[in-house]
This record gives sequence, C-alpha cells and structure tokens, in this order.
Amino acid sequence: MTALWRLSAATIARGVAAGSFTASEVTAAHLARVHLLDASYSAFVETWDERALATAAAIDEDRAMGRPLGPLAGVPVACKDNLVLAGERTSAGSRLLAEFRSPYTATALARLQAAGAVLLGRTNMDEFGMGNTTETSAFGPTRNPFDPSLVPGGSTGGGAAAIAADFCPLAIGSDTGGSVRQPASLCGVMGLKPTYGRVSRSGLVAYASSLDCVGALARTAEDLALWLDVTAGLDAADPTSIAAERPATPQLTARKDLRGLRIGVPREMNGPGLDEEVLAVTRTAAQLARQLGAELVDCSLPAVAHAVATYYLIATAEAASNLARYDGVRFGQRREGHGRLEAMMTRTRSSGFGDEVQLRILLGTFALSYGYAEQFHGRAARMRARLCADFATAFANCDVLLSPTSPMPAFPLGSTHDDPLTLYLCDALTVPASLAGLPAMSQPFGSTHDGRPIGVQWTASHGRETLLLQITHVLQQHSEHHLRRALP
Amino acid sequence: MPIQVSLDRALMQHLADLARLHVPTERQAVLRQRLECIVAAFSTLQDAEDGHVDAAKERQLELRDDLATPPLPLTTVLANAPQHAGGTFVVPRVIDA
Repeated sequence: MTALWRLSAATIARGVAAGSFTASEVTAAHLARVHLLDASYSAFVETWDERALATAAAIDEDRAMGRPLGPLAGVPVACKDNLVLAGERTSAGSRLLAEFRSPYTATALARLQAAGAVLLGRTNMDEFGMGNTTETSAFGPTRNPFDPSLVPGGSTGGGAAAIAADFCPLAIGSDTGGSVRQPASLCGVMGLKPTYGRVSRSGLVAYASSLDCVGALARTAEDLALWLDVTAGLDAADPTSIAAERPATPQLTARKDLRGLRIGVPREMNGPGLDEEVLAVTRTAAQLARQLGAELVDCSLPAVAHAVATYYLIATAEAASNLARYDGVRFGQRREGHGRLEAMMTRTRSSGFGDEVQLRILLGTFALSYGYAEQFHGRAARMRARLCADFATAFANCDVLLSPTSPMPAFPLGSTHDDPLTLYLCDALTVPASLAGLPAMSQPFGSTHDGRPIGVQWTASHGRETLLLQITHVLQQHSEHHLRRALP
Repeated sequence: MPIQVSLDRALMQHLADLARLHVPTERQAVLRQRLECIVAAFSTLQDAEDGHVDAAKERQLELRDDLATPPLPLTTVLANAPQHAGGTFVVPRVIDA
C-alpha cells in the first residue's frame, strides 16, 4: 500500500470517507514525516500537533456516528504564517509579530475547517510576503527539498517546500506578485493564484491590498479544484470579495484533450533574458498542448516591459500604508524609546522590521511623497491600466496564455543578498497577472540538466480558474512531471 | 526623459521620519545606494507613453448590508496589547506636562 503521506488530498478524502484509513492515521503519518525530516528544510515554523490530532479524531468520530463528512475531511493542510487562526500564533515571518495570537480566524481557513480539513501548522515565509526566496523570514530560511543548498522561492517558500517534501498534500499561501506561483515553480509543485477577490482576504496579514490574493499549492489540479470549491465566494468581512463561479471539481474532467483551445504565447514573456532551459521546458509544454489539439497563437503584451517597476511602486506604496499599523500600541512587540510616543513607535518599528521590509517601506514612502507621487505612483497606476488593456486585447483572440513562471530555476541561498534589483526581476513573469487581477497557475513541466524543477505558467481572463484547472488536469493525464519527488 | 533623483541625506531622513524608521549611520550608505539603484531603474516608467489610459476605471463591487455586528470583546481586543490598563491601550506620553 502507498504510504499515507504520498496520497493526494482527493485520495485521502475519498479514503477517509470510505473507511480505507482513518483521519487520525493520516494526520499522524504526516506529522511523523514532518518531525523526521523538516529539521533539514524548515518548511514549518510550528506544527499544531494537538489541535490537528483532535480535529482528526473528531472527523473519525463523525464517520463512526454516520454524520456527513466535508469534501476535505481528514486532509492535512499547511497554512502560511500570514493567515490568522484563532488562538494560535501568526507572525508573518516577522520578529515584530513573534508572539501575536489572533482573536479570530481567517475566512480562508474557517472554510477549510468547515470542509473537514486538518490544519497541520504554519509554514515559513518571507517577512510580510516581501521576498521571493524565503530568506527574509525572521525564523531563518527555508531550503529547497530538491537540493537544500537552493532557495525554495518565496514568499510562500515554506508551503512549496512542504508539498515538495510530502509533508502534506495541500498548502495555503498568498500571492501578491507571484508568491504562490514562483515557489511552486522552483519546488516542482502546482500553485494557483485565483482571480483577485475570488477568495476572501479577511484574516490575511496585508502586504499590498489591491494585489493580495489567497492561493494554494498541491501536486494535482484535482486537489486545487477541491480547495477552490470550498474556499471561494463572497464574504461580508472582505468588501473586495466576489461570488464563486460554478464548482470546478465536477467540470474538471469535462475536457479529454485540448481541441478548440487557443493558447496565446506572449512574445514579451517567452523571449530574450530568460534562462535557456526554462524556455525549452515551456516549448515542451506548448508542443504537448498542440499534440492534444490546442492551437498556438502569437500575441503581444507591450506593457509587460514595465510590469516590474509598476508592481514594485504600487506594492511598496500600499505596504508603506498597510504596515503603519505596526506601531507598538495595539499588538506586536514594543520597544520603549526616551519616554515619548513617537520615539517608542520608531524604535519598535526599526527593531521589529527586517532590512528588506524597511527598504520597501522607504521605497513606498518615496513613491507617495510630495514631489514624486505623480511621477512614480501616478505613472505606475496608469501603466497598470495599460497592462490590463493589453491583456483584454490578448484574450479577445485566445483563451489562455502560456509562459514560464520564473525567468530562472532555483538558485543558491545567499546569492542575491546584495542586489535587490536582480531579486525583483525574478518576479517579471508573475507580476503581470497580479497587476491585472487575473487567475494564473504554475505547473511543473521539467527540470534543468542538474535536476532543478521548472514550471510553466498558465494565465486566463477574470473568473476562468476552471479553465486553468481543466487544462492542467488534461496535461497531467498525458505527462509525468508532477509525479517527480524530491525525497524518498 | 527619465528623471534623475538624488536621494541625498536630507531626503533620506525625510523618508525615514515619514515612515517612523531610524536608519543607523552604518546602514545609511548601503540603503541609499540600493534605493537609488531601484529608483533609477524604475524611472523608465517616465518614458512610457500612457496618455489615453484611464487609470481610475474600477470594477463595481457589491455593497454589503449596512448592519452593525457585535464587536470583539474588550478583553480579546486588549489581549495582544504590549501595555493596557482600565480597558485602554497605554502609550508613552505625547504632551509635555
């Protein structure tokens, strides 16, 4: 029999419902694997063993008593450290929130609990989501299970590493400029960023509110469809939330191939400046899609050339505003300073925030400051509108867009510390969909000559997550890239 | 033409004051150099033609019912406060006696 920690979320849910194994057995198997191996990777900041085993026991009792089970009953799920869970610590990778315990639960987690999921623990992340290597976490870096000398990507690096190491079949993350998709690509797993607003942001620690999305990582399209179906939908606690579409799971197998599908290949996202092996893998995905009946269409998104600048000006401006709340008054760490209120706030923030967060707060403050706001933030807002118009033109002629997810595969820890601009350019292919609020997925589709995973990115128009899930599901039926494991 | 921005000491101090951050002397040069490098790279936006795009166009959001809901209990709200007393957050003095 396959080890319980190797099973997909859908297989676990079916097995628990059928009585093939218990939720308690599944939870214990996953926790044991985390405790055996995670010292080498630091995917988790903390596991919630007692809570998880109690949840699992309650599910087993429900089944024994003949009570109905949720669609994710008994499925172990890892939660990024920026989604609050009542009574547990949430730190967003920051020293400043090291001991913060939320008085309420994030909607995205509450809906998982209602569906029977077993929340295993919180996973490591770049501080407040600001980074793409998971090295800016106050808890230290996470390492890539394919090679611990490499970064796992970020900011949901802990969640991606947890899936890659088979610590759980489903990990919840957040994606502001690629923080689910890029680590998914670097760790060889699937990552879904839904349409902006599709999943409630209530209880997500804010980074850049016009861009933040709750997303998920898993091994299969089927598992991500299950997650989306239980999580998506309107929430009175998030005024930007939007209604759920029809459930994706029943429609997942509607396509047997890709006939009738027009796949746009944007020139600006498939050309010079990208790693050759990354481009080769993307061509492989395009070829398979064509063999399965899809038509490839050349297209152009000219504003993509300015997407990184646009993204970082908007995101840091919003972050500078959002992070003003960390002032040592209502929650978080406090450092006293010369007996005065302002001095206390300055000392609290300067000692609590890490270097990258402080750099981005200063950049965002600059982008909004008198004399520069129009030239920087104002122009970025207009460029964002132009990018949205480019996407609308492209989607008038095709159903979905294909590109690499990341310009390069995983790189060594510590290699980008002195060069923030190079690090920002790692987001060049993921920030366009974020700025336009579009759904996008990363799917593993090969690796470099030395075994580093490479993912491709599928982007659709607003509300078409189901199409993305159908395409990636069809491709998973005709390829084996998603079956490659980092660890025995 | 991309604009040239010199992040001189005065501007850096102004930004730090606005952001309520203290940048230690030994970090000022590195931080300034990094910010200048980023701002210079992002100045390319100045060259981009963007005249006809309406940035103010936003999607319509559904309004929720305008109903008051129970707030969190006071003890819960204060549980994470670094310092509290008598049902209030305690902060250092703001006005000199």
